[in-house]
Amino acid sequence: MNAALEDGTTAPAVARETLVELRELVVDYVLSGRSIRAVDHVNLSVGKGEIVGLAGESGCGKSTIANAIMQLLRAPAQVTSGEIRFRGEDLTKMSTEQLRQFRWSNVSMVFQSAMNSLNPLMRVGDQFVDMMKAHRKISKDDALARAATLMELVGMDRSHVRSYPHELSGGMRQRTVIAMALALGPELMIMDEPTTALDVVVQREILQRVQDLQQDLGFAVLFITHDLSLLVEFSDRIAIMYAGEIVESAASDVLFERPQHPYTVGLMSSFPPLSGPRERIVGIPGSPPDLAKPPAGCRFHTRCTHCDPASPALYRRQTTERPVLREVGPGHLVACHLTDER
Amino acid sequence: MSQIQPLDPVNVPAAPVELARVGGPEREGAGRRRFHLPGWLRLLLSNPKSRGGIIVLSAIIILAIIAPWIAHGNPNDFSLLDARQSPSFHHLFGTTDQGSDIFSQVMWGARTSLVLGAAAAALATVLATTLGILAAYSGGVVDDIINLITSVFLVIPTIPLLIVVSSYMHTRSGLTMVLILGLTLWGFEARILRGQALALRNRDFILSAKVAGEGTWRIIFGEFVPNMISRIAAAFVLVFYIAILTEAGLEFLGLGDMNHASWGVTMYWAQVNSSFLQGEWWPFLFPGIALAATVAALVFILAGVDEVSNPRLRKDRKRHGVFRSLFVGGRRAAPAVEEGK
Amino acid sequence: MTVAAVAGAERTLDVQGLSKSFPVPGASLLHRKMLRAVDDVTFALKQGTVTALVGESGSGKSTVARLISRLYTPTGGSILYRGEDVGAMHGKQELLQYRSRVQMIFQDPFSSLNPVKKVDYHVSRPLLIHRIVPKADVLDRVHELLHSVGLVPAEEIAKKYPHELSGGQRQRVAIARALAVEPEVILADEPTSMLDVSIRLGILNLIHDLKRERNIAFLYVTHDLASARYVADDVLVMYAGQIVEHGPTDEVLQRPMHPYTKLLLSAVPNPNAGLHSHRLAPRPKTDLAVDLVGCRFAERCPLAVASCVSDPPVLLERRPNHLVRCPIVDPST
Repeated sequence: MNAALEDGTTAPAVARETLVELRELVVDYVLSGRSIRAVDHVNLSVGKGEIVGLAGESGCGKSTIANAIMQLLRAPAQVTSGEIRFRGEDLTKMSTEQLRQFRWSNVSMVFQSAMNSLNPLMRVGDQFVDMMKAHRKISKDDALARAATLMELVGMDRSHVRSYPHELSGGMRQRTVIAMALALGPELMIMDEPTTALDVVVQREILQRVQDLQQDLGFAVLFITHDLSLLVEFSDRIAIMYAGEIVESAASDVLFERPQHPYTVGLMSSFPPLSGPRERIVGIPGSPPDLAKPPAGCRFHTRCTHCDPASPALYRRQTTERPVLREVGPGHLVACHLTDER
Repeated sequence: MSQIQPLDPVNVPAAPVELARVGGPEREGAGRRRFHLPGWLRLLLSNPKSRGGIIVLSAIIILAIIAPWIAHGNPNDFSLLDARQSPSFHHLFGTTDQGSDIFSQVMWGARTSLVLGAAAAALATVLATTLGILAAYSGGVVDDIINLITSVFLVIPTIPLLIVVSSYMHTRSGLTMVLILGLTLWGFEARILRGQALALRNRDFILSAKVAGEGTWRIIFGEFVPNMISRIAAAFVLVFYIAILTEAGLEFLGLGDMNHASWGVTMYWAQVNSSFLQGEWWPFLFPGIALAATVAALVFILAGVDEVSNPRLRKDRKRHGVFRSLFVGGRRAAPAVEEGK
Repeated sequence: MTVAAVAGAERTLDVQGLSKSFPVPGASLLHRKMLRAVDDVTFALKQGTVTALVGESGSGKSTVARLISRLYTPTGGSILYRGEDVGAMHGKQELLQYRSRVQMIFQDPFSSLNPVKKVDYHVSRPLLIHRIVPKADVLDRVHELLHSVGLVPAEEIAKKYPHELSGGQRQRVAIARALAVEPEVILADEPTSMLDVSIRLGILNLIHDLKRERNIAFLYVTHDLASARYVADDVLVMYAGQIVEHGPTDEVLQRPMHPYTKLLLSAVPNPNAGLHSHRLAPRPKTDLAVDLVGCRFAERCPLAVASCVSDPPVLLERRPNHLVRCPIVDPST
């Protein structure tokens, strides 16, 4: 199976097997009489053992994509068109039973707030047991033993298997959730803003641990966050989402050094530097668009500093035509009229 | 006061979920009607469940009001000749073992039961809300004292209390009844509302109000209560139901005015006379249905109260004129009203 | 943005030796453990400056803000507002007066506004409570305030419910509400940590402008060093309830002395280097409730020696204007 290059994998020496592939995925939220397009013809793939980052702000559709891959979307959200394939198999066509097996054994998910994933009334170890028994034939003792091993794997003391979630700190809870996500040896772990609620030291500790585990166990990670600087350090490839579309994707170092899309540039500059001169930064003016009535043409044009009636031909394109993802360098895709002109 | 130039004028996005427009002149479809219903009433009427509840409750209230015209005679008249008759044209709901007309009892009784139930429930709810939230918000000593008082009222057995009170009170009036019912029924709701208020207490908007300088009572009634309306309304309905049934027991103890008919009394006597064992279902059924219908109507209204109290839950419904929807019922597949710009 | 002339500015709020202990829940009645959330904190807020209070969660930084806003009562030390002891204020008028001078903004824009009330209610309440303007002018003032924090069109926004606004807009409403009383001090408790990245700058720029235009003293509580550097004139670093380093922003962040400050600086994501270049040492278990005698950071400190565990370190000025709570660090490096 060839590594899908359509969305910007830097072709490595060894071709990566594709685990998850989204093709022209469209997800709509259908309210009475209207629908809001949360994900608009997105193409994305994650290869075996790869760390792919998906960056964007709230409402850009990144969490919707995560839920779509896990087949967790509920009404009013629906997949209107496009494909979600895991190892070539179309997930939307799977039966409930197949999906149940698929979830957690092949792909697992870590959510932002661990307290949302953990039952406050049960000991942590028991929750492991529940989860493992749901997917495998395993005795309680074996499951508990495995739980203890997993806790150690993520850097926690084995004794915490007997703790209740509220007895653990935020960082420890998140580690627990990561341990649970790894319990069945999935090939892909989706992490949706896993460290946003944690402070910077804990975040680094946890991500270091995940990186170590990833090297040892070989799973792939789809890392969803708004913290672009984190992604640059942590992931192999990054895709930037805005208003339901992917506007740029490239290998991390390429994206960091040569961002093309004005939104990417703006996002990067929104992180005040820890060194260098202390100057006022403007960031990105305006606010994310209302997905019910997105701007015509390029969705970013209302906030884009390069959208100017002074260049009428370009301006007309920016306000009427939707830009298309084009390759501007090896594995580097950008959807921008300005870049097209260059 | 100097003005700072807006740094990045923040565009106002259209609300992602349409709200039912609350009141205001831009209501469509009701151009011909001139009166403006208050916003909360419009919301309650737009929800099919609460609309049904309001209709049923209104019907019962209307029946209670027109009782003198539709139910002839004193409900407490008895005539042994007519005793224990099953429903007939002459006695629509049958007669009691003493020959009293049950239809009259139910119609006249509606007045007593509704007023009594509502008043007792109101008293109990006000007490429970005020003390429960005050305890939760103030914490410390105030909380301890209020908990003690609540416990006392919860623990005191109702009947002995009533006996003690009845021996002291010489005037038997509806007011006495309401007071006793309210004072014995507020305790358990106070506990529950205190629990809910505890959950709200540390929410930042409460802290903000405190930091802004709001006084305690203003915070209780202006910040807590609006966020607890659903639970408070539910408390009201529950106490209402219990009050009506408890009232029957009180009547028996001689605390009430025996001359007033009420649903509870009718059912009580039916039970005492073992009417059911003798195959006489009508003394139970009709007042029972009346009570059940009233409580059910209130519960359905509660379903709409959630929407009134929490703006986020308001659904976007296609709006028709309020009265049109009452008669036509349900939602029309009318041309979708273009909401917003 | 130059470093403000901190020394010359007026001292509005003086915090001296502030301490706050909480009983540890679940401890037995006989053996009540006290959690020292805030321990001997001393600093001053000055007009027209932003002072950043930086630390991890559990460091006590939010508690300090809440102590100053009188949401908690201190168990030790004092807070002086223009020389007057805030703790001694009991009269309703006195308290109200204090509240009209010292305001607070909270972290969570989703819960700091009452969900069943519209924006104009939130911004008008302080105006009415403190009688800032006559009733007839309240709505106009509300619109002015909304406009001044960048919420336009003000008339439309005023009629919205909180859930109809984005996180950044809600936070601006909270700031407008705080500004309504024309305060001298604003305590901002992690105002941007729950906002989108591109929105944060807008709020930080707003804080900067308000500081300059209205001469407000800001306390900016955060765990994000980068934003502290961007907006603050002074930085205080807190660990386990104590201040471990204190000084002008560039001094502390470019030439940090305390090992904890250095740890924080190394943990911030830095795209210029890979993760592996900043590997953090594994963290041993710390129990903040235990009555530690010596330095609370000793367990995690790469420089710790025996005396660190036995002797409590004191906050000392090791470089001009730059205080640090560590006896063994070398100030000349």
